[in-house]
Parts: sequence; structure tokens; C-alpha cells
Amino acid sequence: MDGDADGQVSRRQVIVAGTVLAAGATVAPAAGQRPAAAATHAVPEVVGPGEVEVSLRVNGTIRETAVEPRVTLLDALRDRLRLTGTKKGCDHGECGACTVLIDGRRAKSCLTLAIMQTGAAITTIEGLAGSERLHPMQAAFIERDAFQCGFCTPGQIMSAVGMLAEGRPRSRAEIRDRMSGNLCRCSAYPNIVDAISDVAEGRR
Amino acid sequence: MTQSVGRPLNRVDGRDKVTGTARYAADQPVAGLTHAVLVQSTIASGRIKAIDTRAARSAPGVLGVYTHENLPRFAYRPDGYTFPYGQSLVPMQDDTIRYGGQHLAMVVAGTPEQARHAAALVEVDYDVEPPIIGLRANLDRAYAPPTTVPGVIQLERGDPGDGLDRAEVRIEAEYSTSINHHNPIEPSATLAVWEGEDLTLYESTQSMSFTQEVVARMLGMPRERVRVVVPYLGGGFGCKGFVWPHTYLTAAVARVVGRPVKLVLTRAQMYTSCGHRPESVQRVRLGASKDGRLTGLTHHVISHTASHDLVNFTVIASPQAVYACPNLRVSTELVEVNLGTTIATRPPSGPTNEVLEMALDELSLELGVDPIALRLANYTDRDPATGARQTRYLRECYELGAERFGWRRRKPEPGSTRAGEMLVGTGMAGSFHNWHGMTAQASVEIDTNGRAFVRSGTQDIGTGTYTIMTQIAADALGMRPSSVRPRLGDTRLPPAASSSGSATAVTVGTAVREAGRAAREKVIGIAIADPRSPLHGAASAAVETADDRLFLKARPRRGETYRDVLARHGSPVEAQGNADLANQAGGSYGAVFAEVHVSTVTGEVRVTRLVGAVDVGRVLNPKTARSQAIGGMIWGIGMALTEHTLVDRRLGRIVTANLAGYLIPVEADVPDIDVIFVDKPAPDASALGARGMGEVTGTGTVAAIANAVHHATGRRVRQLPITPDLLLGPRE
Amino acid sequence: MKAFRYARATSQANAVTLASADPTAVYIAGGTETLNLIRDGLLAPDLLVDVNAVPADGIAWGRDVVRIGALTSMAAVAGDARIRTRLPVLSEALSASASAQVRNMASVGGNLMQRTRCWYYRDAALPCNTRIPGSGCPAIEGENRWHAILGGSEHCIKVHPSDMAVALTALDATILIRDAQGERRVPIGDFYRLPGSTPHVETALPRGGLIVGVEIPSGLTRSRSGYRKVRDRASFEFALVSVAVSLDMDGDAVREARIALGGVAPRPWRAVEAEEAVRGRRLDPDVLEAAAEAAVRGAVPREHNGFKVELVRRTLADVLARIGGKR
Ligand SMILES: Cc1cc2nc3c(=O)[nH]c(=O)nc-3n(C[C@H](O)[C@H](O)[C@H](O)COP(=O)(O)OP(=O)(O)OC[C@H]3O[C@@H](n4cnc5c(N)ncnc54)[C@H](O)[C@@H]3O)c2cc1C
Ligand code: FES
Ligand code: FES
Repeated sequence: MDGDADGQVSRRQVIVAGTVLAAGATVAPAAGQRPAAAATHAVPEVVGPGEVEVSLRVNGTIRETAVEPRVTLLDALRDRLRLTGTKKGCDHGECGACTVLIDGRRAKSCLTLAIMQTGAAITTIEGLAGSERLHPMQAAFIERDAFQCGFCTPGQIMSAVGMLAEGRPRSRAEIRDRMSGNLCRCSAYPNIVDAISDVAEGRR
Repeated sequence: MTQSVGRPLNRVDGRDKVTGTARYAADQPVAGLTHAVLVQSTIASGRIKAIDTRAARSAPGVLGVYTHENLPRFAYRPDGYTFPYGQSLVPMQDDTIRYGGQHLAMVVAGTPEQARHAAALVEVDYDVEPPIIGLRANLDRAYAPPTTVPGVIQLERGDPGDGLDRAEVRIEAEYSTSINHHNPIEPSATLAVWEGEDLTLYESTQSMSFTQEVVARMLGMPRERVRVVVPYLGGGFGCKGFVWPHTYLTAAVARVVGRPVKLVLTRAQMYTSCGHRPESVQRVRLGASKDGRLTGLTHHVISHTASHDLVNFTVIASPQAVYACPNLRVSTELVEVNLGTTIATRPPSGPTNEVLEMALDELSLELGVDPIALRLANYTDRDPATGARQTRYLRECYELGAERFGWRRRKPEPGSTRAGEMLVGTGMAGSFHNWHGMTAQASVEIDTNGRAFVRSGTQDIGTGTYTIMTQIAADALGMRPSSVRPRLGDTRLPPAASSSGSATAVTVGTAVREAGRAAREKVIGIAIADPRSPLHGAASAAVETADDRLFLKARPRRGETYRDVLARHGSPVEAQGNADLANQAGGSYGAVFAEVHVSTVTGEVRVTRLVGAVDVGRVLNPKTARSQAIGGMIWGIGMALTEHTLVDRRLGRIVTANLAGYLIPVEADVPDIDVIFVDKPAPDASALGARGMGEVTGTGTVAAIANAVHHATGRRVRQLPITPDLLLGPRE
Repeated sequence: MKAFRYARATSQANAVTLASADPTAVYIAGGTETLNLIRDGLLAPDLLVDVNAVPADGIAWGRDVVRIGALTSMAAVAGDARIRTRLPVLSEALSASASAQVRNMASVGGNLMQRTRCWYYRDAALPCNTRIPGSGCPAIEGENRWHAILGGSEHCIKVHPSDMAVALTALDATILIRDAQGERRVPIGDFYRLPGSTPHVETALPRGGLIVGVEIPSGLTRSRSGYRKVRDRASFEFALVSVAVSLDMDGDAVREARIALGGVAPRPWRAVEAEEAVRGRRLDPDVLEAAAEAAVRGAVPREHNGFKVELVRRTLADVLARIGGKR
């Protein structure tokens, strides 16, 4: 779009690491560098409401895309970057279907804005494993039949991988509690616990 | 030869699902896509005085705003509730409002954000009438509808009045169940693409054929011009088994806009756009002789229905089918309310089955007999309507389940077991679902590489249809499952019925088997007619197939592969299969055992153990079957303990229209679950020996939990869900 | 969702400058609440000020106070080893909140500022005095199973949803606020406002004010404390009722008690009378009973939430007994 509701002409801006650069001069953030590193005391520039060029580091690749500030990370992934493996079940943080890893930590991508994640390393289900191989968690989900319709599955798997990175669960009860942010209406719950236990205990 | 059917093959679509490459309706990459958002009524009854779309129309990116004032009229309007229309009310045709959430406008814009924002700018001015909401508050409006109203059962057998009078022990109780919503994690989505006069719909549906039929009729176009595609469905549980207005509205709007349009319902809209399970009040009277034999049974069910759609989805199935009671009456009353249309919800016969099983528990206590003994005292294996004997292994279900659960160690007195703060209780209940077959066609094509493509225009709603089709085709052909590629989810494939009512695996499976067998015969025919084949000249009956090979039964080493035959043949071989099981019906049965802990401090109930034993005939794939059974039982946990939709009586608005207020079970609510399949063929149900299984496992768990809660606490809660507030008994 | 402008603040000062300049400006930290509010039409900012790059992160253990930066994530606080052993009530309350993903994303400051989960407030199509002053409170006569039994008014019976704020109330926390005038300290008991006739005024935070941290008196790390949350579902649900208790014991007797209740009032509810009932006493059954009674004195139950009165009594007696060492 070229104008916003108030008829202002929006600039296409590029936002990287807390500073605003002129359109076209896209700068890729260095790996692992969070925006905080670029803190300054000058009043930061205000961007939007029109589209802003942002660069997202998704599955190890820098992806440039123009989004309005209001676009959530989930919608940016699905609608702009065509990474539709990440699902939208509620758009309110209540189902977990949109779970991705942000800098290795599990997060609900419907609850953050794409523009807030410039510089962060985002991993989606598409980037969890190499092109041919499966991640052990993916393989365990297949083996344990830890899904039926499969719609919650990308979120479950990303959440499970994120959970193990947070610390090894000591019991099935603990897995259950720590996985309760991911709903599964087909109710594959016991099988999901089986799959995660397999991976946690090195059976896969 | 190793059979594939009956083995725990991993899902053949598993890889797509765990890597995110499985494409659901809203995931389809379509060029030039635009985005639609629905505006819904915020009142439950009244009229639109004015609808102001000016701000929305001039919002950035907006391509069109459609209301009853500018949307072209549809070609058809169902006259009263008509299957498979989700509802008869066609929205956006006039200014009347019959329920909260009725679609009033559709906004189309270039991006989803623009469409959502513009939708919020549509201003509706209403003439509000006070809505009729709430079953209990409106019981005085209940009336007995005729049995011409779909789902209504009014049935009398023997003399129930006399049967109850003669009883030595009687119980009479009133129960109530709540509104439930299906809440598949995938919200309903429609993606409509027109090319000239041809429409392609990527649709989240349990039935492509219904979608095709309804959309064609509503838009006044030939069926053949509507193609429906659904390679993957993110769960439906009934709400995607019917065709709802948002689907044909999107198709109609896309035609006007002239660009592909995608509509994805919001989670809140899922509460009003695709049906719900109605509330019910149920009155049960049971009479028995001292030895536990039922002498009389009445089961009266009052539930709500939409004022615009008379239909009953609190189906009464088990009282007249499971137990041998000579004198019974089941009866239905309806109360019309200003809510959306009620619809089948997994499992359709759940609420009545659970209530009967709770009442039987009360009777067993009154009689002082074990709950299993009571059920055995009323055991029958005859179809109660016809008196015909059925293959029914319910007795085995009781035995196997009780054994696995350790039922015999149970102390019958309520409140007798305590673990710290927790009261521990166990309970059991029977499962039942009335299964109906459907129709399906399938084809099997073997290409010149010797790979088989099995096709049927069915859906895999998560139940494992892709996998079962693969297994059945592999066995019919004598191939390895890895040589078989299944295709489904497209109306261009041989047509098949909807995926609902537990019928898919059996019906589609039967058609696939027939197609596979026919294709095998053809290939054998080609081989024995081909002088270059080692099988040349053999009698076709002498040829066996296994592991991708054709060979002589008598001399297994003499033979060749499918690939050899087809490569020489130079062109693919195809055959069709047909299944018409529409006249096949019967029950699937089972028993569920539950253990619960009830906090003496807070009244919180947690299920700690569940065992289900089911008779679904032959089990086609124990792995996917177990998953389905577990799923059904966990639905039971939700219905028993946490799930209820709350509607504000005065505003007529659902206030829990999300996944934080409507509580479906989470991982922490679910214990390890044991599932036992009797796994004996039911030849009277289908040639595969299988019966419907999707729904039966969804029954019984609710009552088993409720009965266990009573056993734990001595408190009989006759209201679902059993939330902590209902168990705050006297303090210790 | 309305379109808005966006800026990423890099210091407390420039965050406050940005937010103070635009009357509709809203901070965003974890975003787990802000985005829902905007999406549902409950907030309509022209400007979003992202405070994630503002240095206000981490837990500092000082001599007099434990200071938690406003941008510290819920997960970081819940999982901190010293918080777990020395301030268990805080760690337990946070661990019982939301889901692991939300706890990873959400900040302490955002958690304190989350809005009520009253479903009438959350539905922009409905009247609500908190959202639109004077429009009415349908909860009072409507579906009020989740609503307040204490501290409500005839204008509003919402419940404050934060578990952490209940724990912080039982820990005598102080909220550190930065605004254009400088930094100020507000005891948590003064931070949240009761609805009275102005339900739309919910906190003492000035416009443009930024929460930079919370402080807990170090002395409390020697107290015994605990949290119990009651809900329908075993996890991932707001409290029906919750109880936070922090006790200083003198042998068998309670020297000092700090008791806060969640799920029962428009703000985290300090149960002062219950504290008095146990102060200087041994936690015998009659004392527990007296405390439980005192906690719900003056409760105004509505059609569907009367059970909360009994639930508070029992849960409080249980937590007191458990923390006091009786169980
Ligand atoms: C599905 C779900 C379930 C939940 N369950 C629970 C639960 O069980 N218990 C519970 O306690 N909570 C629960 N929550 C709420 C959750 O804890 C809050 O959403 C979260 O703590 C908010 O933190 P945030 O950093 O994401 O806030 P944001 O969304 O970033 O901000 C929230 C509000 O605070 C303001 N704000 C943020 N930071 C500051 C600051 N430093 N100074 C001043 N204002 C600020 C923002 O402007 C905004 O108005 C749940 C949330 C979800 C989505
Ligand atoms: S879509 Fe993000 S949690 Fe449901
Ligand atoms: S597999 Fe269907 S929702 Fe989880």
C-alpha cells in the first residue's frame, strides 16, 4: 500500500538493530547480535505506519521483507515469507500452534511483531532439520504417532525442542506441565509425551 | 506373505506433517490472493437498521465490502434445516438477525491486516429485540417435536409405565450437560479461486462432495464446475462435516471481486459460524428387579435448537440399543433459542450415552451390585429393533478392561480411599456408537515403474485415511506399502462420501480393496498372456502376489515383479472399485474405566488413570486406531471436567469464545491411557471385518469419570462439566 | 488491528520521551498482552514504543533489597535458583502462570500492567465501564463465575489476573517507575486502584510512565513462603482463586504474616485481617479458621461466583498450614 488511513505517504524504511537507515541500504545484523547492542541515547526514529523494510533471520537465512509495524511475526512468516509450516490456531497466544524458536527459545509468533524481531535468529519447523534428514524430535513424533490431523504438530515439535533446550525434564509429569502451552484437539497428548521422552532419554 | 492391514504402520503422511510441508486450506500459495474478513452481528435478535460501510470502503487496501444491500442474491435457500447445509439461514440476504454472530458483511482487502482493520470500521445500527437464551431459563417453552424433525426420536417399546411400576428398585434423576464447541485447532478456512466459470475451493471440510453440492446449488452453477481440494484437514470433529455459509459467501464474493479470496475464521468466529453441541436437561427413570434386570427405562431429553433451524443433535442412541430392557421410552423435547444452528459434535450420541451410564451407576449403588454385574445382567447381543443376533464382543470389553484396570480390587463404598489431600475414586461406564456405512469409489493405477497410485475423493481428517488406503491397497495388490502412493482430497478423484460418523476407513477401505483386487487381476491377466513372462500360460488362480511380485503359488520362485510386467506392457493399468455400505449399520461397543483424584481442599478433579476396551471389529492399523481411541477418551475428560460455553442471557453473546475461557484439556490434564482392542472381525459389518471406531471411543469416558468422582467423594454431580465449585462439599 | 507507528527505545530516558510525546503511545515489552489488546480493539495506539532494548534486565541481590528489572522475563525470574529457594512464592506464582512460551516472552513490567481477563472487558462489542466509562457492567448480572467477590463496586467486578502481582503483594514489593519527572517508588499496595466509580483508572502509573523494576525487601528472603493456584484445568489457565503467603515464624508461632489473594478482587488482594488473625499465634485449627473467615469478611458474592468465598477459606487455611509447617 502507498498511503495510510490519514492519507500520509508512508516511507519505505529499513530498520535494523534499533536504527533507521535509508531505504535500499539493507544491512544484515551480525549473527547473534540483539538490538540491545546498538543502544544509543539519541531519541530513536519513529517508523511506520506504512511498510518498513525489515530483515529477518529465518532458518539461518536473511530474508528481506516489507511489513507494516502491525504485522505479527506469525503473519510475516506465513503471508510474506510463505513459510506456512507455522500455524495460526487462535492468534491470541492460547493454542501454541504458532510456536517458533527465537534465539533458541520457544515463543508464540502471534504475540510478537515481525519488526521487533529484526536481528533475532528465528527457527521455524521448515528449518529445524536439514533438507533430507529429520530432526530426532520429528522422527520421534512419527514413530510415536504423536499427532493425527497434524495441525498443532509444527508448534508441538518446536515447543518440545525448545523445552529440552531449557533443561531436561525429570519425569513425564514434568513434560506434561511444561508442554501445556500447546493444545492438541485431536488429543495426541500421551503420544507426544512418549515422543519427547524418547528424545530426552536418547532413544532417538 | 506379510499383511499390512492390522500392522502398526507409521502414518504415510507423517513426514509432511512433521516438516511443515503438509498444506492445509489456508496454506495454499495462490497468486494474486486477497483476504476477506467477516463482520458478525453483535446482537442475538432483531434487525439491521442501518449498516454504514463508508469508512471501511475507503480504508487502505480495501477492494470491496459486501452486505445484504449489495451482495447478489443466492440461487437457493434451503426450506428449513436441510442436510448437509450447516444451517438453512442464508446470511446477508435481508436485514433480520436471528442469532449473535450471524454474518452481516464481508470485507475484502489486499492484506490480512488491511481487511481486519477495515472490518472493524463497519458500523451497524440495530433494532434490538430481547433474545431467548438459556435452556434452564426457558424450559417452559419446551415442546415435543415430531420425528420428521431431523434427529428427533420418540420411541416406545413394551410398557415402560408398567415396567417401572413393577420394579423392585427404582431411581429417578435429572442431569444436565453444557454447550460444547468442537474447536479444531485449524479454524475453518475457504480459499476461492475463479477461472472463468470454474471455481476451485481450497476448503477445510470433512466432505468435499457436500461442499461441491452446496456451493454449486447456492451459486446456481453445475456441480462439475466446482472443484474442491483438501489434501489436509486440521481436525473437524463435526463442525466441518456440514457446509456453512462462510464457504459459499467467500465463493460468491470472490466472483464479484474478480480475484482469489481467502477467508479464515477467527477463533471467536468459530463459536458462531459452524455449529455447536446444544445444552441438555435429561430425565432418566430406571426400574429393576433385585437381581439387577431392567424392567423399565425412560429417558427424556430436552435440548435447545436454533429458532431458525429445527434439528436435534442430542441424539438418543444407547438406551434402546445397548441393554436388554423390554419396556422403554425415549423422548425428545426442544426449546428454540437465539443461537446458531446446533450440530453433531464428536461423539453425537455422547451426552445421552453418558447420562444413561451415570444413571446406571446410581442404580448399581441402589441395588448394591457391582456396576459391571449390573450391565452383564442386562446383556444382549441382539439388535433390539429386529431381534437379529450381532457380532458383539462387549462382554470381552468388560472383562479385558476390568482386568487391566484392576477393577476387582475396588472397594465399593464411596469415599473409602484417600491419598494425602486427595480422595481417590474409580468408576466405569459403557461406550456405544451407532455406526452407518457410506458410499465410496476408488481407483488403483499401476504405472510402468510398478508403483501403485491409489485414489479416492475422500478426506484424511487426521484419522489416518492416507495410511489405511495404502495398507489396504498394498494387501489387495500384494505390494509393499512403500510401493503404494495414496491420493485423496480432490473432487477430481473418484467420489467418496463425507468423513464423519466413523464411516471413512471402512467405506473407503472397501472400495480401495475392490479396486486393488481388480487391478491385480488385470496385471495377472497381462502377465499370463505375455509369452515373455515367466507366468505365461498359467491359470490366473494359480498366481499369487506378494512383496511387489507375481508368482506361482506352487512354485514361488517362478515369477516376476509388477514392474517387470508393467514395463513390458508399456502403459499403466487402472481399475476401479466401488463400495456401497449405505445400508450397513450397527453398533460399536466398549467399556471405559477411570481413576480420579479429588482435592478435599479445592474440589479440583484430576484424572489419574484411564483404560478403554473397545470392540470395533477388526483393527486396520493398531497405531492410528489407538491414537483415535486416546483422542476420543481425552475428549471425554474435557466434557466431564472443563468444557462449557457460557452465553450471556441478556446480551445473547457467547462470552467464552476463545481458548482461554473455553477450556479444552491440555497436556497436564491427561494421564497415560491404556487402550485395549478386542480386535475380532465383525463380518456382518463389512467385508473388511471392521466397524466404525472414530466415535465409540469418545463415549463412556465422561460417565466413567463422573462415576469415579462419586466413588471418590460420595457426591453425585449430575451436571457437566464437573468443575471444582460443584465439589466444595462440607469442610472436614 | 489499526496501523501504528513504531519506535525502538534504547534507554529509559528516550522511552519516556517518546511515550510522553504521544498521548496514545503504548509500550510494548514481551507483547503477549499488548498485541491481544490492540487486535481486539481494546487499545488503539498511534505509536508503539518497544522497550526491549532498554537496559532494565536482570536480578540484583542487594543488601536491603532484591531488585528485578522490569524487562526480566517471567521465565528468568521463575527459573532463577536463588528466587526458587529464597522467594518460593514468587517462583511458584510465575511457574503457574500462562505457558512456557509466554513466560519466555513476557516481562515483569508487562505482567504488572496486564489488564483484566473479564470477558466483557475483552469483547469490544459489549458494554464495560473499564473500557467505556458509563457504558455499564454486564458482569454484575451476567456470567460472573470468574468475577470479584472482594473490592468490587456497583460499577465493576473485574478480577486482576496476574499471579506474579499476588506474590509480589505478599512480598511487600515496591514498583519503580520512571517518568518525565524522574524516578519514583510506589508500594504495590498503592499501585493498583479499586474500581469504585472510576473503573477505568486502574493503576498509579502516570501517563508515559515506565516501570523499570520491582524491589523486594531482602529480609523477606528469610521468610517461608508459598503459592497455591486453583483452576479448572491442570495448567495454562488463570486462577479461579489463588493464595500467596509469606510467614516469619518464631518457633511454632507466626511473628509476621503477609497474605495476598488472587482471582477474587480487581487488584491483588492483601488480606490484612487474616494477617492479624494469625499474628503472634500458633497455626492451630481455630486460628486457621479465624484467618480464613477474616479473609472473606465483607465478600459480596454474585450469582455464579459464590463458591469463591468457600474456596478462598479452604485454600488459605491449607496454604497457611503448609507454609507454617503443620503439613
Ligand atoms: C494465553 C495466555 C495465558 C496467560 N495466563 C496467565 C496466567 O495464568 N497468569 C498470569 O499472571 N498471566 C497470564 N497471562 C498474562 C501474561 O502474564 C502477560 O501477558 C504478560 O505478563 C505480559 O507481559 P509482556 O511483557 O508480554 O507485556 P506487554 O504485552 O509487552 O505489555 C503489557 C502491557 O504493559 C505495558 N507495559 C509493558 N512494559 C511496561 C513497562 N516496563 N512499564 C510500563 N508499562 C509497560 C504495555 O504498554 C501493555 O499495556 C497469560 C497470557 C496469555 C496470552
Ligand atoms: S496462534 Fe499463536 S498461540 Fe494460537
Ligand atoms: S494433531 Fe490435530 S490438533 Fe494436534
